[in-house]
Amino acid sequence: MKFIMKYLHKEVWSPYVAGILLGLVGIAAVWISNSLLGASGAFENLAGMMGKAVAPKLFDNMYFNFIMPPGITTGVILVLGIFFGGMIGAATSGTLKWGTKDTANSDEQWKLVFGASVWKRWTLAFIGAIILEYAAGIAGGCTSGLAISGGMLLAPAAFLFIAGMFVSGILTAMVIYRNRY
Amino acid sequence: MNYIVALILGVFFGFSLNKAGLTKYNKIVNVFRFTDMAVLQFMMTALVVAMSGLYALRGLGLVTFPAPPATYIVGNLVGGLIFGIGMALSGYCPGTCAAGAGEGKLDYIVPGILGFLIGAVIYGLTYQQVFPAISAIANYGNTTIPELWNLNPFLTVLVFGIMSLLLFYMIDRAGWQRKGNL
Repeated sequence: MKFIMKYLHKEVWSPYVAGILLGLVGIAAVWISNSLLGASGAFENLAGMMGKAVAPKLFDNMYFNFIMPPGITTGVILVLGIFFGGMIGAATSGTLKWGTKDTANSDEQWKLVFGASVWKRWTLAFIGAIILEYAAGIAGGCTSGLAISGGMLLAPAAFLFIAGMFVSGILTAMVIYRNRY
Repeated sequence: MNYIVALILGVFFGFSLNKAGLTKYNKIVNVFRFTDMAVLQFMMTALVVAMSGLYALRGLGLVTFPAPPATYIVGNLVGGLIFGIGMALSGYCPGTCAAGAGEGKLDYIVPGILGFLIGAVIYGLTYQQVFPAISAIANYGNTTIPELWNLNPFLTVLVFGIMSLLLFYMIDRAGWQRKGNL
């Protein structure tokens, strides 16, 4: 018991232990509600909702009407849960960052390699995030909705996606890290 | 899935992402540099556990599977190729960014969430020009590997498990994880 409590307070677990937990969550999703986990879809639902409020004409298209209808879907609630899960995880190890300094450029490795500039970090992260969401749309899901959820059912789509992700991830890391790769 | 189940599953999901360290930029990018393979170890462990459990439960008649994500070879692959660029640039994916935002990190809350919403808008507005064409190429529908190739599903899971263990051995013992150069 003491060991478990101590482990719970550790900041970073063995990836195997954390992976078992995620695997169990994947099983639970199918067992309890016959559905799959996913994160990227929630942002489509939210974007559609905001878009329809601001520019209803522009967002009155096939995609936002039928493919990814706007609204607070269960997917959005799931992502909200992920948000709180991250919060609880950080709280158990005393690494919550709310209201602390220097969270605008939060990673030591980033600062070492690319410097302390917040604008640089935010610009690249912002562009990266746009790319991620667009790519998830084309692929049919992201790391959770396609790679994990599809992979656990042995869908070929998941493994094609993972292969593509590693090839370009490695190449991109080589380009941006250059002689520090 | 109802709201309460979704919220609880999400909390455990986000918690596991935090504990695996995936809410840190360096963990994500370092898997592409082969200096920290936690992302791969975490993903493969989750896959082996989940597929063993699910195929066993289905074998016992306790669950039916939802439709798996559709396989359309070019789209899945191209999507993955674009996705990897975004991951290496930002150090997150949609799930880990949500969890990192919950931790209170501004570089997850602002550029991350904003970027996903803008990306979603751009995708939604160009969907008709892109998706129907790319998903029509080599489309096999909502299939799985055992179904597609007529394999025994339990044997497929077993082979996948053994391959994953071999991979873990390579990472932990055979030096596939290299020393960083920073």
